[in-house]
Amino acid sequence: MITNMIGVIIRKELRAALVSPKFVASFGVCALLMLLSTFVGIREFQASREQYEAAQRLNEQEMREQTAWGRLGTRVFRAPDPLQIFASGLQNDIGRWSSVDAFNPVKLKNSVYSDDPVFAVFRFIDLAFIVQIVLTLMALVYTYDAVNGERESGTLQLTFANPVPRHVYILGKAVGAWLALIVPLFVPLLMSLGLLSVFDILLSAEHWLRIAIMMGASLALVSVFIMSGVLVSALTSRSSVSFLVCLVGWVVTALLIPRAGMMTAGYLVAVPTAAETDSRLDGFSKERWNVHMKELGERWRARNEQLTGKTEEERRAEREAKEWDWMEEDDRSRKQVQRDIDEYATRLREDVRNRKLEQERLGFTLARFSPVAAFQLALMNLAGTDMGMKARFEDALTEYRKTFNTYRDAKVKESGTFGGIRISFDSQRGMKIEQGREETLDLAEMPRFSDPRVPLRDAFSAALVDIGLLVGAALLACAAAVAAFLRYDVR
Amino acid sequence: MLTLIIEKEIRDLVSTARFAVTFGICSLLILLTFYVGARTYALQTEQYEAARKEQLRQLEGVTDWSSVRSARVFLPPQPLAALVTGISNDIGRNAEVRGRGEANPQDSRYAEDPIYAVFRFLDLDFLFQILLSLFAILFGYDAVCGEKERGTLRLTFAQAVPRSTYILGKLVGSFVALGIPLIVPLLIGCAILPMLGVPLSAEEWLRLAFIVASGLLFFGVFLNCSILVSALTHRSSNAFLAMLVVWIMAIIVVPRTAVVIAGRAVDVPTVDELASKKSRYSAQLFAEDRMAMGKFVPSNPTGPQVMQEFNKFMSKIADERQKKMDEFSSRLNEERVNMQRIQEDLAFGIARISPVASLSLGLADLANSGLDLKEEFQSSIQRYQRSYGEFMVKKTGMNPGGGMIMRITDDSDREKPKPIDPSELPVFVFQPETLSASLASALPDLGLLAALATVLFLAATMAFLRYDVR
Repeated sequence: MITNMIGVIIRKELRAALVSPKFVASFGVCALLMLLSTFVGIREFQASREQYEAAQRLNEQEMREQTAWGRLGTRVFRAPDPLQIFASGLQNDIGRWSSVDAFNPVKLKNSVYSDDPVFAVFRFIDLAFIVQIVLTLMALVYTYDAVNGERESGTLQLTFANPVPRHVYILGKAVGAWLALIVPLFVPLLMSLGLLSVFDILLSAEHWLRIAIMMGASLALVSVFIMSGVLVSALTSRSSVSFLVCLVGWVVTALLIPRAGMMTAGYLVAVPTAAETDSRLDGFSKERWNVHMKELGERWRARNEQLTGKTEEERRAEREAKEWDWMEEDDRSRKQVQRDIDEYATRLREDVRNRKLEQERLGFTLARFSPVAAFQLALMNLAGTDMGMKARFEDALTEYRKTFNTYRDAKVKESGTFGGIRISFDSQRGMKIEQGREETLDLAEMPRFSDPRVPLRDAFSAALVDIGLLVGAALLACAAAVAAFLRYDVR
Repeated sequence: MLTLIIEKEIRDLVSTARFAVTFGICSLLILLTFYVGARTYALQTEQYEAARKEQLRQLEGVTDWSSVRSARVFLPPQPLAALVTGISNDIGRNAEVRGRGEANPQDSRYAEDPIYAVFRFLDLDFLFQILLSLFAILFGYDAVCGEKERGTLRLTFAQAVPRSTYILGKLVGSFVALGIPLIVPLLIGCAILPMLGVPLSAEEWLRLAFIVASGLLFFGVFLNCSILVSALTHRSSNAFLAMLVVWIMAIIVVPRTAVVIAGRAVDVPTVDELASKKSRYSAQLFAEDRMAMGKFVPSNPTGPQVMQEFNKFMSKIADERQKKMDEFSSRLNEERVNMQRIQEDLAFGIARISPVASLSLGLADLANSGLDLKEEFQSSIQRYQRSYGEFMVKKTGMNPGGGMIMRITDDSDREKPKPIDPSELPVFVFQPETLSASLASALPDLGLLAALATVLFLAATMAFLRYDVR
C-alpha cells in the first residue's frame, strides 16, 4: 500500500517536473555544459599530451648531442593523465618539468598558467567545476518550492484531504525530484563519456573505475543539494523565502566556505615561501662550497709540499702517478659537499612540507563544512590532481636523480674523464688549460623516469572520507526534510 | 511623475525582507573581501621582506664579490593586486639574476602554495562577477512581469502613465535602490584598508575608485539585462530561468570557451621548444668557445697577472657568446610573444561578448594584476640584470654570468680579506604600469560595459513599449 502510494507520488512528481520549463532550461544548460566541459577537457588533454611528447623528443635529442658524461643532465616532464579531463585540480598550477643533474636539487618549474597566463585569466572548464557550480545551483532551483510551492498553489491541502502519510509524501517528493534531475543527466553524461572514444582517448580499466567513482561522488553532491532544497522548502511557507535561503546557502557553501577555510588556514599556519627557502638553501650551499674550496686549496698545498725538493722530472712523474687518486679524492670531497647540500635541502623541504601539511589539514577541515569542497577534494584525489601531486612528483624525481647520478658517475669513471675544462696555474710553469675528452654518449642504458601513480586503493581511501561526508550530508538533509515536513502546516 | 515612480520603486525594493537578507550578505562579503585582501597583502609583504632579508643575510661574511654568483629579485606585493588578484598568483614572483642571459620569473604563488590554488582567493573581481550579478538578477527578474502577475501593472496603466516614463523610473529606481546601498560597504571596505596596514598612494586610491565604479557599472549591466528579460516575458519564473541561463553563459561558458578556442586557433611555440632551441644553440656556442679557450696565450705565462688576463679573456668571449645568444633568444622570444599577443587578442575579443570578461579584464588592468604584470616584471628584471652586470664588472672586473663557473684555488699566504658590503648591491626596483597606461587599457572594457548597459536600457524601454500589461 505504502509502496504503491510512494510510486504514485514519485510518478506525479516526475510528470510535473518533466513538462515544466524549469526542467527544459536546467536540463538543456546542464547537458550543454557537461558536453562542452568534456570536449574542452579532451582538447586540453590532447594539447598537453602533444606538448609533453614534443618536449620529451627535444630533450632526448639534446641529450644525444651531449659529449661529456660529466656534464650529463636531463629534464623530466610530468606526463598528463586523461583523468584531468574531468577534474583538472592542480594540474595547471604545478610546474611541468624539473631538471635532473648533479648540481641542482629537483624542482618542478613552469606551470601551464605561468607559461601562458592567458589561460589563467578565466581558467579552464572541467566537469568537476560544472557539477560544483551549475548542477548544485540547478538542484536548488529545481527543489526550492517542492513543498511550499504546492502549499501556495493549494494542492498540498488537497493532497492531505486524502489519508496520505506525511513521511510517504515527503519521501516521494524527494525521490521524485531526485529522479527527475539525476536520471536525465545520465544522457549527457554517457554522451560525454562517449566523446572519449570519439577522440581516441585510451583509458585503462582502472581509469574507468575511477571515473565511475567520480560520477558517484557527483551524484552524491547533487543529492545533497536536492535534499537541502526540499528541506528548506519544508521549513518555509513561502517559495520566495525558500528561494532566497537556498541562494544564500548556495553562495555560502559553494563559494565562500571553501575559500574562507583555506585562507583562514593560510593566516593561522605560516609557511616559509619558496624564495625564502631557496635563499636559505643558496646560503648553505655557498657556505659549504666555500669550505670545500678552502679544503681543496689546503689539500693541493699539502700535495705540492710533498713534491718540494724534487727535480722537475720527479715531480711530473709523481704527479702523473698520483693524479687519478688525487682526482678521486677531490671528487669524493665534492660528492660529500653535494650530499650535505642535498641532505640540507631534504631537511628544509621536509620542514616546509610538514608545515604545509599542517596548513592543509586545518584548511581542508574548515573547507569540508561545505559539501562542494568535500566533492572537489574527493575528485582531485581520484583524478590524481590533488594537493599531494607536487610532493609526489618531487619525491619521485629526487629518487630518480639518485639513480641518474649513480649512472652518470659510473659512466664518468668508465670513460676516465669528467669532460670538464681544468685550468691550472703554477707560478713556475704558468697556466695550463686542459680540455676534457669529448665523445658521443651511448644513452641506451640510461635509467628512465616513471611517473608516480597513486594506486586506486590509496586514491579511493583518500577520497572515501569526502564521499562519506557527502552521502552522510545527503541522508541527513533527507531525514531533516522528513522531520520538518512532519510538523509542516499544510494549510 | 518620474520621481514618483522612482520613489515607489525604491520603497518597494528597500522595504522587503529579500532586500534586507541579500544586502546583508552582500555587505558582509564585500567587507570580508576587503579584510581578506588586506590580510593577504600584509602576509605577502611579510614574506617578501623575509625573503629579501634572507637574500642579504647569505651575503654576510662573503669576502669576495667574485663569489657572489647571482642575486635574487622579488616581485613586491601590490596592495590592489590583493583585492583584484588577476594573474598575480599565477606568474613567478622571483628571479635569479646572474648579470647575463635570460632571467625568468619563477615560483608562482599557486605553484608554491597549491593550497590556495584549490579554491582560489576571495577577491573583488570574483565578488562582482558572482555576487553582484546574482544580486541584480534577484531584484530585476520580476521588475515588469512580477508586477503583471500581481496585477499592479494593469492598475498603474489605468492612469495616464507614459510607458517610457514608467520603465525609466523602474530602471533608475532599481539602480538607485540597490546600487547606492552597495556603495556603503564598498566605501567602508576602502576606508578600513589603511587601518589594516595597507598603504595606498593617491594614484592607488584613484585606481580603487575606478574599480568600485566598474563594479557598479557591471551591476547596472546585469540589472538592465534582468529588466529587459522581465519586459520580454510574462511569467517571473520564466524570466528567472532565462536570466539564470544568461548568467551561466556569461560567467562560465563564454570567457572560458573563448580562451580555449583561441588556444586551439593560434599556435604559439611552447616554452619547451624555445628552451630546447636555446639550450642547443648555447651548447654549440660553448663548444666553439672551448676551442678558443685552448688557444689562449698569456703575454707573460708565469707572471702574476696571468689569471687576471685570463679572466678578461674569458669575460670577452663570454660577452661575445652572450651577444649571439641574446640575439638568438630575443628572435625566438619575439616570435612567441607576437603569437601570444595574437592569441590573447583573439581570446579576449571573443570573451568580451560576455560583460564578465570585460569586467575581469578592466579590473585586472586597473589593479595592475593583468597580463601586463608579467611583462612589467620581466622588463624590470632585465633592467636590473644590466645594472647588476655593470656593478659586478666594476667590482670584479668581469661579469660573472654566462654559465661558466670558474673556481680559483689560491695556495699563497695572503692577509685575511675583508667581508663585502652587501648593501652596495644595486637595489631592484619594480616599475608597475602608470595610471594613464592602465586606464588606456581598461577604458575600452569599461566603455564596452557602459555601452552594453545603455543598449540593454534602450532595449528594455523598447520591449516595454510593446508589452501587454493585461
